[in-house]
Amino acid sequence: MRFQTMANVTSRWLKGDGPEAGIVFSCRVRLARNLEGFPFPLWAEESKLKDVSGKILDAIKKSRYLKNTHIINMGELSSTERRFLLERHLISVEFTRGGKHRFLATEEGEMLSLVINEEDHLRLQTIFSGLQLTEAWRLIDRVDDELEERLDYAFLPRYGYLTACPTNTGTGMRASCMLHLPALVAVRKINDILKSISQLGLVARGLYGEGTEAQGDFFQVSNQLTLGLKEEEIIDHVDRVTHQVVEQEKRAREALLKRNGIPIRDEVGRAYGILTGAHLMSSQEALDLLSKLRLGIGLKLLPGLTIRSLNELFFLVTPAQLQIREGRELTPLSRDQLRAKLIREKLSKVR
Amino acid sequence: MLCQVCKKREANVHFKEIIGGEVRELHLCDICAKEKGLGESFFPNFSLPELMLGLTELEVPLSLEKGAECSGCGLGYEDIRKKGKLGCSLCYQNFREYLDPLLEKIHGKVYHSGKTPKKGKRKDRLDRKVYELRKRLEEAVRREEYEKAAEFRDELRELEKGGRR
Repeated sequence: MRFQTMANVTSRWLKGDGPEAGIVFSCRVRLARNLEGFPFPLWAEESKLKDVSGKILDAIKKSRYLKNTHIINMGELSSTERRFLLERHLISVEFTRGGKHRFLATEEGEMLSLVINEEDHLRLQTIFSGLQLTEAWRLIDRVDDELEERLDYAFLPRYGYLTACPTNTGTGMRASCMLHLPALVAVRKINDILKSISQLGLVARGLYGEGTEAQGDFFQVSNQLTLGLKEEEIIDHVDRVTHQVVEQEKRAREALLKRNGIPIRDEVGRAYGILTGAHLMSSQEALDLLSKLRLGIGLKLLPGLTIRSLNELFFLVTPAQLQIREGRELTPLSRDQLRAKLIREKLSKVR
Repeated sequence: MLCQVCKKREANVHFKEIIGGEVRELHLCDICAKEKGLGESFFPNFSLPELMLGLTELEVPLSLEKGAECSGCGLGYEDIRKKGKLGCSLCYQNFREYLDPLLEKIHGKVYHSGKTPKKGKRKDRLDRKVYELRKRLEEAVRREEYEKAAEFRDELRELEKGGRR
């Protein structure tokens, strides 16, 4: 029941009201922390996991920032419910395995969440709309300070915060931006951009399945290094590089509109046509077409639509969201049917 | 192309990541990809370097070959190398010999300069000073500047005495 309520509420960071939200879907800062004197979760026996989760849950309950959080016991969830949390960006793929003494704590708007006993004992995460990494860092820093008063974090001056994986050692921080770059993909500049991002010391990830451009044109950019830099330096760097990518995407969008922009108008219009006419829609097809619509909004070709409504639609039509809203398991075929119906309804309201 | 993990089935999940201008690719079959947690989610929610760490062979320091175990979690060097993940916070001290070069490879030759828990602050200033004094002492000895070296040595002794108080 709680999940159904969640499914009907939009995460605050999806509202598309942050700076550059048309291109920067969301930004995220996460911190990895462990407790001194306990093995890391991967190797810990159940009684240790229990002790760790007990200590952290207690600290959460006493926290001023976290007093309104819901605590979700991963061990009690169905696979659809776990998948639902993954789709909402609250947990990682790894955490969808669930298990005893593993918890998620999240506050109502889902901008702030904590994961207990994943790869590290504790991971704190903030997600903001658009490019607001500094704000995201400030919030998570305060929450971390407060928890630290009650938790004995594993820390060595030389190495910083000690984490299960050496790629997180030091600040334990990953600052990332989810970028929607359809125009850079369309003008075939995306590979150059990704390459230069990496030369600037950041990691650019794209999911390169068959037909690379058919993945919704989403790319995630994050810091590679976690040791030897101050958190503010990392944030500043990711922020600067993201700003540059945003400028490039804007230029590519202008280029698409040159000479009346007939090809791009055609593509956006066709995507709209299929989305408003289809009765069966797979999640992959929905992702591709909605990405085109999102670009269309950015190019001001679809005056009735907003980034916010599109962002919401992206999430409404993912498999687990559909099933949780319906309150039952659905076959892939009935999902495709329901997805098509939902999209038709949402888009028809606009025009 | 065959899957890089099982080397049996055809690879049909392809990942590409560019780090520092170097392109790294990973080609997996459906089954291995799923095992590694790379399902159908369109937001890539994994880290290729982490996967790679598990796959690549790292040089084994001699002293660790003989099956040293961590006093905190009881794990051996082999367990950690295979998973690319450490067992507990004490591993950082017990496997220092293996970890230092690994961390340098990942992050460069650096000292933590980010946030420090309040509890650790006094200790941090002390540790950092000790770390720097040791470096200067070694340098002085190398240059055969023994008077200076003696000064650094005395300073170090003072610091370490203070730390224990």
